[in-house]
Amino acid sequence: MGNDIKLCRCRALSLAIGVLFSASLQAGVSSTTNPETKLTGWKLSQDGFELELIQRLPDQTRAFFLARGFSQKLADDIALSCVFQGIGRNIFKSGENKSISVDLRNWQLQVGSKTRSIKQKEQWDAEWDGQAVSTASRIAYRWATFPTQQTFEPVGDYNWGMISFDLPPGTRFDVHVHWLLNGSPQQAWVRNVHCPADIHPEPQ
Amino acid sequence: MKNLFCYVVFVLAWWFTMGAWADVSLTPMKDRPIAPGFTLVDMDDEKHSLSDYRGKVVIINFWATWCPPCREELPSMNRGWSKIKDEGIEMIAINVGEDEDTIFSFQGDYPINFTILLDSKGEVINQWPILGLPTTFVVDKQGRLAYRAVGGREWDSDALLNKVRALQQQ
Repeated sequence: MGNDIKLCRCRALSLAIGVLFSASLQAGVSSTTNPETKLTGWKLSQDGFELELIQRLPDQTRAFFLARGFSQKLADDIALSCVFQGIGRNIFKSGENKSISVDLRNWQLQVGSKTRSIKQKEQWDAEWDGQAVSTASRIAYRWATFPTQQTFEPVGDYNWGMISFDLPPGTRFDVHVHWLLNGSPQQAWVRNVHCPADIHPEPQ
Repeated sequence: MKNLFCYVVFVLAWWFTMGAWADVSLTPMKDRPIAPGFTLVDMDDEKHSLSDYRGKVVIINFWATWCPPCREELPSMNRGWSKIKDEGIEMIAINVGEDEDTIFSFQGDYPINFTILLDSKGEVINQWPILGLPTTFVVDKQGRLAYRAVGGREWDSDALLNKVRALQQQ
């Protein structure tokens, strides 16, 4: 009986800490590194909009596109362009009737003193005109990448996909994220993001 | 007293952690536009047209094997399908851009118990209002887009399925 109570207390305390930790994350940006993959993710949570940017190893991305028919060169081009997994989510409740619209063309990257834009999927696709990229490969690219424009409704809508920041591996940068909340402009910075290096870890 | 403390903390923790995620549903489509028609083959190379399903409510899910949230929601779609299949409601999974062999292999790990159609050239998905995978629509008995879900859902949720059932009653 005594052990049960101790166990219960322990679980309750863990949950309470978890809850407080979760609550503290809802007011800004946090980053965590997966102890197994060593990859880092940044999570922005502000005004009903949640955005996660998770590092992808160039080799992950390279393998994905090679498996979908891209040539070695084109798969390398994409893989070495600082690709992150992006996940966008509307976390408002349905009764709140607040939609969130994202347009990647409005986001800016601050790299040192320079400001630049994200390379959109349409720009990649245009580069492949006239090259031997199959329809199946282009379909896979289109649907595996984060939409340039997307509206998330407050009913649990989310989307995910790769985002190419078009920066060399290892680059550090800040992302100026813009979105619309019911048409009203919102913005936030995700600071000190870094592109993973092109490493080839061996299985342990 | 100690047990009461544990109970209260558990309830509060559950309430806080679940609050943001429990309220998932379907977005009603404004003015219910007509669903773009299609004719696609299934895994046995048999043709299916959307018009074949007129008079029935149809849940249409666009997906791909390499899409993690698609894989995540498939088991709940199977469970949802087992709940509604005898109610005259149809469920279809339209695969985007892949071939039969890829889907067949995939089903070894992720069985799909309802109809799979192949949009191998990605022509159908381009005609539907879709920007990412998975996206799921509920088509009403008149062939109109009644609801849309962007991203995965728990398709065995009765709260969610009741919206679909309500269409069947209309």
